[in-house]
Amino acid sequence: MFHKQKAENTENQTSTLDIFDFSGENAITIKDVDLFYGEFQALKKINMQMPKYKITAMIGPSGCGKSTLIKTLNRMNDLVEGCRVVGEIRIGGLDIYDKRVDLSALRKNVGMVFQKPNPFPMSVYDNITYGPRTFGIKKKSTLDEIVERSLKQAAMWDELKDRLNKSALGLSGGQQQRLCIARALAVGPQILLMDEPTSALDPISTGKIEDLCEELKNDVTIVMVTHNMQQAARISDKTAFFLLGEMIEMGDTEQVFSAPKHPETERYITGRFG
Amino acid sequence: MFKASKYKDTSAKILFFVCAGLSVVAVFGIIGFILYASVPAFRQIGVFNFLFGTVWAPDLYNNGLASADRVFGILPMIVNSLLVTLGAIAIGGTIGVFTAIFLVFWCPDKLRIRYAGQNKFLQKVVSCINKINLRTIFDQIIKLLAGIPSLVYGFFAIEIIVPMLAAINPEGVGQGLLACFLILAIMILPTITSLTKNALEAVPEQYYEGALAMGNTKAQAVFRVVFPAARSGIISALILGIGRAVGEAMAVIWVCGNRAVFPDGLFSYIRTLTTNIVMEMGYAPLDLHRPALIATGFVLLIIVLIINLSMNLVPKEFKGKRGNKVLSGEKTEIIYRKKGLVPEILKYVSMTLATLVAVILALIVGFILVRGIGGLSWHFLFGRSTNADPTLVPAFAVTGYVILFTLIIALPLGIGAAIYLVEYAKPGSKVVKVLRTFIDTLSGVPSIVFGLFGMIFFGDILGLGYSVLTGSFTMVLVVLPTIIRSTEEALIAVPVSLREASYGLGASKVRTIFKVVLPSAFPGIATAAVLSIGRIIGESAALIFTVGSILTFGGSPLDQGSTLAVLLYTLSVEGLEKDLSYATAAVLLILAFLLNMIVYFIERRVKKRNK
Ligand SMILES: Nc1ncnc2c1ncn2[C@@H]1O[C@H](COP(=O)(O)OP(=O)(O)OP(=O)(O)O)[C@@H](O)[C@H]1O
Ligand SMILES: [Mg+2]
Repeated sequence: MFHKQKAENTENQTSTLDIFDFSGENAITIKDVDLFYGEFQALKKINMQMPKYKITAMIGPSGCGKSTLIKTLNRMNDLVEGCRVVGEIRIGGLDIYDKRVDLSALRKNVGMVFQKPNPFPMSVYDNITYGPRTFGIKKKSTLDEIVERSLKQAAMWDELKDRLNKSALGLSGGQQQRLCIARALAVGPQILLMDEPTSALDPISTGKIEDLCEELKNDVTIVMVTHNMQQAARISDKTAFFLLGEMIEMGDTEQVFSAPKHPETERYITGRFG
Repeated sequence: MFKASKYKDTSAKILFFVCAGLSVVAVFGIIGFILYASVPAFRQIGVFNFLFGTVWAPDLYNNGLASADRVFGILPMIVNSLLVTLGAIAIGGTIGVFTAIFLVFWCPDKLRIRYAGQNKFLQKVVSCINKINLRTIFDQIIKLLAGIPSLVYGFFAIEIIVPMLAAINPEGVGQGLLACFLILAIMILPTITSLTKNALEAVPEQYYEGALAMGNTKAQAVFRVVFPAARSGIISALILGIGRAVGEAMAVIWVCGNRAVFPDGLFSYIRTLTTNIVMEMGYAPLDLHRPALIATGFVLLIIVLIINLSMNLVPKEFKGKRGNKVLSGEKTEIIYRKKGLVPEILKYVSMTLATLVAVILALIVGFILVRGIGGLSWHFLFGRSTNADPTLVPAFAVTGYVILFTLIIALPLGIGAAIYLVEYAKPGSKVVKVLRTFIDTLSGVPSIVFGLFGMIFFGDILGLGYSVLTGSFTMVLVVLPTIIRSTEEALIAVPVSLREASYGLGASKVRTIFKVVLPSAFPGIATAAVLSIGRIIGESAALIFTVGSILTFGGSPLDQGSTLAVLLYTLSVEGLEKDLSYATAAVLLILAFLLNMIVYFIERRVKKRNK
């Protein structure tokens, strides 16, 4: 079901690249990226930069390649058979498709939150410590600290501090999703990828997550896919519009929504706001 | 640190592959070693004389042939084996398929009995009955039938079926061909029912709805459209049933009459390939008789392999997964237009036969429990055992030991194999196809053949003799396919999103599998373990010649003894004490029932959790 493809190639090499340096202005730089699922080209010559400590929203009609692009940023596409990436994606100073890049280290730095909340069927505590334990942290006091810090970061500490040992599956959908955010934060990522993180949630939970994102951008760079134009307008700093595998335009959110440069963008936005 | 984890990833992959490959080795090993041990027989008797000889006289004084020549011809037994199978599949196949149809289409979820009277007690009873979920109960009945040990069926056959047949036969004989038909039919019923049920449920809903939309009655839609569409799945079910019937030894051992001749009527005494082995192995001298019995097993194995491999010839359409094909308009016309009474009649046939199945189960369970529980005493369950006064204590110990050793070995191997198939291998690749074929083949090998292999390889060649270890190693091969299959299903059911979440946090594949996937699959794996325990407790043919059949047990894994099921065999064969046989059968039945309940509750919890 899951095939390591490129990841497997990396198994044989000698030196690994695992030091990411986020001192530059842009957290992510995408240069001339094409992506193929077998014969089908899902992304065409994508060029974009995502500035550090900002929220970049990706919008566009269904099937235009938003999820595909966001998944290339932490190489989740490695799991897809027949998926091929051409071009260059630089994150923290490294070309992440360089064979020497350590996949675990990449994903530690580039966390991901999925559309449907997907907590592990374990306790809240074990969910959050899963990542840190992956990276060899065993000391109970350190783990406790991480749990508290991550939950506080995700604004859930007060809600959950008394039920850390309860199953995460008992939480509400919104709580589960915020727990997943806390879980991603626990390994101290620099970048957080979110693919329609609120589309499975009710408006109140959605609001909470939006507030959380605003909070989080002090510490992390956020890339978010959303179908909700209001959401993009409300919380993002930059917005990129995609159509049929191409990036049509990208700019400051205010500008994209008030004065889109491209007629297709305008049509899409007015249609969706309408 | 990172490199170490990658190294671990690769070596884990290799390890899992080895687990999966073990089935291939096992199949070749079984064929190879049984052939190897049969060679002396084929050499001295001659393949042709052996296969086509019509007289089986292994002792100098057998069959009145007081000559210097012993004769080994198995043709009558080949014919008998095929004949009982044919009868069993005709009866059991029909009942099984109709029962499945009833279960899928007509079994009401709840009974709706109306009671208008004033009697408070009766009102309560009626409302209780109406609360029962009939469909679940029927499902459980089928599963329980599948979990009852062969020997208990054999015991039921000799105690119930044979006397009943004797009553209708003017000559007053109950044993023979017909008794074999009936008991084998009952034995293969659950296999056929549950597989047919799967096949019917896999038929796309549109077929059924389409037929109704064309004005078909429900019965017409079922029998004219859905049933034909499930054809290939049903044929596979029947083939599997045939394979089980050919290879079954213990259910027929007491009722076949045990004469190696061609039958000349329904009450003619017969002997099958399987019973030939079980009956004579215990005392067969090593020179030629024993190899000849092993060669009988080899012939049986080849027959079963051919039957099971013929499964691959069944077209794959609708076998298993839910398809989504839409009928072409033209064909629709042809199928849906027919009308008639036949489907309505078939509907009542299916209801009647399903009821019959429930009655049969009630008969088996009721009779054995009623007579068996009387014989259960504190002393018989837990008292000191001697040859003159046997109790169940040694059998409990041996059974426990065999379960323990078997699971310790088989669970890691089976889980590893399943992990390879689900998590590492490319779905649909050649490797997977080959592995699947061998795992299926292994699961189709008759118990008695496993027993022969265990005796030859672990017992003779590895020198473990009759012992708990020999039996456990043999049982590993028996339960391995079940464990692989159930674990695979459990792994596949783990949502992809959980794996993604783990990878997304930078976890390696091995870590993802062990920390996220396997824990989520735990209930499925627990089910596999419980099913295996059931199989071990119920197994007799594979254990008689590996663990042994003596009444005492020394207590070490290298000692011989007998498990509960084998004890039932010994007690009945030696006619020691009828009450003790009944009591042992009752214990086996109760254990099968308990294990079934455990599986039921695990599955129910999983269902609830997934909601
Ligand atoms: N695993 C895959 N194999 C082949 N094609 C794929 C795969 N995943 C996506 N595609 C195709 O790539 C294109 C882009 O898909 P993607 O999921 O990135 O779109 P999206 O913009 O996220 O859409 P949505 O808004 O519906 O989530 C689509 O045409 C889709 O069919
Ligand atoms: Mg998407």
